Formats: sequence, structure tokens, C-alpha cells
Amino acid sequence: YDFTDCNFAKIEEEYQNVIFLALKEYMNGIKSTQFNHTVYCGDRPSCLTEIERLTFKSSQCLSLAKKIVTATNATLNSHCPGHSGIQINNTQAMKKRKKREVTTNKCLTQVSNLIELWRYFSRSQ
Amino acid sequence: LFFDPEGPLQVQIINFNFKTVQVTWNSSGSPGANLTFSYSFRPNEGDSSCPEYILEDGHTVGCVLQAEGDGILSFSIRRGTRPLLAKSQWISSYLKPDPPGDLTFRWHEEAVTVTCSELPHKSLLYEIQYKSTFDPEWQAEEGRSCNVSIPGLDPDKCYFFRARARTMEAAYGPDTYPSDWSEVAHQQRGRRRDSCQEQRLFPRFVLIS
Amino acid sequence: GESGYAQNGDFEDAELDDYSFSCYSQLEVDGPQHLLSCAFEDPDVNSTNLEFEICEGLLEVKCLNFSKLQETYFIKTKKFLLIGDSTICVKLGGKHITCQKMNIVKRVKPEAPFDVKVIYREEANEFVVTFNTSHLQKKYVKDLLHEVVYRLEKNENDWMHVNISSTKLTLLQRKLQPNAMYEIKVRSIPNTNYFEGFWSEWSPSSHFRTPENNSGKMD
Repeated sequence: YDFTDCNFAKIEEEYQNVIFLALKEYMNGIKSTQFNHTVYCGDRPSCLTEIERLTFKSSQCLSLAKKIVTATNATLNSHCPGHSGIQINNTQAMKKRKKREVTTNKCLTQVSNLIELWRYFSRSQ
Repeated sequence: LFFDPEGPLQVQIINFNFKTVQVTWNSSGSPGANLTFSYSFRPNEGDSSCPEYILEDGHTVGCVLQAEGDGILSFSIRRGTRPLLAKSQWISSYLKPDPPGDLTFRWHEEAVTVTCSELPHKSLLYEIQYKSTFDPEWQAEEGRSCNVSIPGLDPDKCYFFRARARTMEAAYGPDTYPSDWSEVAHQQRGRRRDSCQEQRLFPRFVLIS
Repeated sequence: GESGYAQNGDFEDAELDDYSFSCYSQLEVDGPQHLLSCAFEDPDVNSTNLEFEICEGLLEVKCLNFSKLQETYFIKTKKFLLIGDSTICVKLGGKHITCQKMNIVKRVKPEAPFDVKVIYREEANEFVVTFNTSHLQKKYVKDLLHEVVYRLEKNENDWMHVNISSTKLTLLQRKLQPNAMYEIKVRSIPNTNYFEGFWSEWSPSSHFRTPENNSGKMD
């Protein structure tokens, strides 16, 4: 999906007022600067491409953070023409996995990279 | 301040307005050792060695390098050939903006609108501090642009004003630094003053409600 | 505002009462819990068997049912996504009578400010007004505009108004009548382009008396 035609201002608003707090809640006081940042984006469309990849496709980490996944899905679907995102319905499955998983270091690294991508998206023009 | 929780090396990074980046280290683990610093702003490029070391008592305690835009700084610090630390960080996480300049004032009755020259970076907050000669402490108003209105002032009084820039956490993270304060400006009866005479304050507060 | 629309054909023939309703939200009103309250515009609606339901814009669930307290329907939950629209419907016997699409974050009614204090600073010939708001500790709706109003107690509707974004204001003594009793109170409204909504209730009023005369002289 090409994110060039998204309404970046609206996405930025929803990120700054909602998604940012969900990401911060997930990190639970651990600073993203404690992790290595290896995922780069240089403009808003490419940031959203990486954000979508890290949020929906890369691993099971974010099953722990339903709010991040649901909110990101909602904002991309609302403000990116033709973007259909993912179906969020496996509530039961999600609950079972939640009990087994803990916030692993690998997940913290992933979410800290996600945080940095959103930050870059938010401060770029 | 960025700490390396396990290693003996404590590192601090300051990104001076995306012009230069200063990385300093405090190696409690190997005092007096001459550590070396190498870095890169592009993952597929080779490392560069530090262009300008900061020395203390003859040994290296930091490095100053030119920033290359808003990107990821990958660096490593070695003792001889042994790497003590290797990290990749967005330098924006450690931004210290320049102070805003050119404060201007527009008075209208008991309010003033203070403006200042904005910095080129997005998602900054501009804090205006002010106090009259009767106020023991600075009071503050803040805005997302450097155009801040302050109500409830007495034009007859002499006021101190100053401004600084801060980053928004959602855009830069919690580890940045506020800019230094601008020059202090003085205003009375709608005009610029060279200074304000400090009142010898014996504040008599009467709580009446 | 949004207009309601009937959902189900069975009701077309029945003479429909006016079931239009309005809602407001209060975020983080009880720790992380949000509150959404709705009520019919027409107080005479017979709401005995009527229910309210909200769908979309929710976390982990598709819909939620409202509880009812006298004539107000409410939901207290953490499951508001706070992104995008929700659909709120009035139901009768499980069937939708009327629905409205609304965005919870655009219908925020802040909690009322409190603890209004007035301190007279004789040497500066001014009154320092301070007050408190629970929104300073919140994560979402932190930025409010406050309207401070004050009047001579004997002048019924002669309120002076000042809008501020901080919780401190200075009133100049020379702008007030000497030896007079004043009433002062504050209310708040969301002050961002994301969270919008309505004025809060007024804070409890506070009263203060001005000194005899404008004795103070400033150099």
C-alpha cells in the first residue's frame, strides 16, 4: 500500500493524542533510548509503511497491546484512502495468548523502534 | 542522560540544534584510559573516527561531531580494540534547541502578546516566563507557536520577560533538553526598558476568601 | 449536529415520538475509566423500555449497552478507542429506533474547576486569583481554556469575563470598586484541536471584599 495520499495531519493528531499514550503505556516507564534503533524512515509515507509493518506484520508482540494495534488500524483506515488494514476480531484467541506472554526484551526493542518511527512521523513536515 | 545499565560506561548525548552532536562518557570501569569513538549516520557506510575529541586530564572523555540531519547515529566506544559500547540512536531524542530570539511585545489594556522568532524544527513548545517586580517567582505561559498572550497584567508595573523552546514528548521523546533562556527583556507602560528595579519584597498576603 | 435516523422498517408506520438525544463524555473521570452520558432532548419521552447501545470506536468489543439512572443513560468503561466515530442507538425491544453517529472526543465535558482562592497583595495593589482542576493530572484532556467571571455581589448580571489557559490570574485593584464584596467563579472547556466539547459546570463561587480605598501608590 502506498501511503502518499494519506491525511497526515489527521493521523498526526490521532497519534499525538491517543496512539502515543498507548505506546508509552506499553513501555511502562522503560525508555526507548535504552534500545538500539535500527529501523529508519525518511518521510511520512515511508514512516507509515514501516509503522504498518512493525505494528501488524512482524510478530506476536503487539497482541499484548491491543490498543496500539486497534488504534493504528483505525487511524490508517480512516485517513488513508483504500487502506483496509486488518480484521481485529480474535478476542478469545487474544485473551489466551495474553496470559502466556510477557513483555519480552525483543518486544520492547520492537515497540521502541515503533515509537521512534511515530516520533519521526510526528515531527516531519 | 543515557545510561548503559550493564556496562561500566555512562554516556550522555546532546544534539545541539541538529548542528553538532556531543557524546561524552564517564568510564568508571577504566579510569584514565584513552577510549576511542567511531560513528556513522548511514548503516551501510563504514565508520568514521571522531573528528574532535574532548579531553580531560589528557585523556578522552567525549567527542563532538557534525550532525547530518535528523537520523540515526550508530557509534561505538572502544578501549584499544575492545568495544565497550555500541549503540544506534535517533539523535532527535537528545535535541537541545537553540534559544528563540527577537522577543516582541504587543500590549492591549491589561494583556500582552509576546512573540519570538521560531526555530525551524516542528513540534516545539515555546515557554514565556514573566514576572513583575512584585513577583517573587517567574510565572509561565506556553504555546505551540511563539505567539503567547498573557492576560491580567498591570501596564504600569515593570515586567521581566524571557523565552525558551522545549520539545514535545510525542515527537522527540522524554530525554531532550530545553533550550537556554533568551535574553531577558524589560517592559513598562508598553515600552521597552533597560531594566526593572527589584522591589524589596516583604509580601503581605491576605487570604480573603 | 448529527441527525438521528430510524433503523428498522417495522417502525415506519408507528407515530414516532421525538427520540432525539444528546451525549457528552468525561475522560478518565474515575482513574482510567471514561464516562459517556446520554439523555433525550425531550424530557417528556416515556423512556421506560428504551435502551441505549454504542457500537464501533471500541476496544476488544463490538458494542456496549448503557446503564440507566433516572432519565440519564451512561457507560463507564476503559474500552473507548478515542479514535473515529461511534454509532449510538436507541433500542426498543431489541430493535433500533434511532441512531446517531458521533465522535466521543468531540463531546468532552470537563470536570468543574474547584478551590477558587483570592489573595490580596497590598504592595502590588492587586488580587491574585488561583484555582485547581483535576485535568492537570489527566493523560488525555490536559489542555483546557478557563473562563473566570466576577461581579459585584449587588449587580445581578454584570459579570466581567477573562479567558485564561493557566490556573492563575491577577485582578488590578484600581479596576475594582473599593470596599465592595465580589463573587468569582470559573468553568472550563477543552482547548485542543483534537479533544473538543462543552463547558464544564461552574466551580463553587468564592467571595472577596476589596479594601476601603486605593491607598497603595506604586512608583
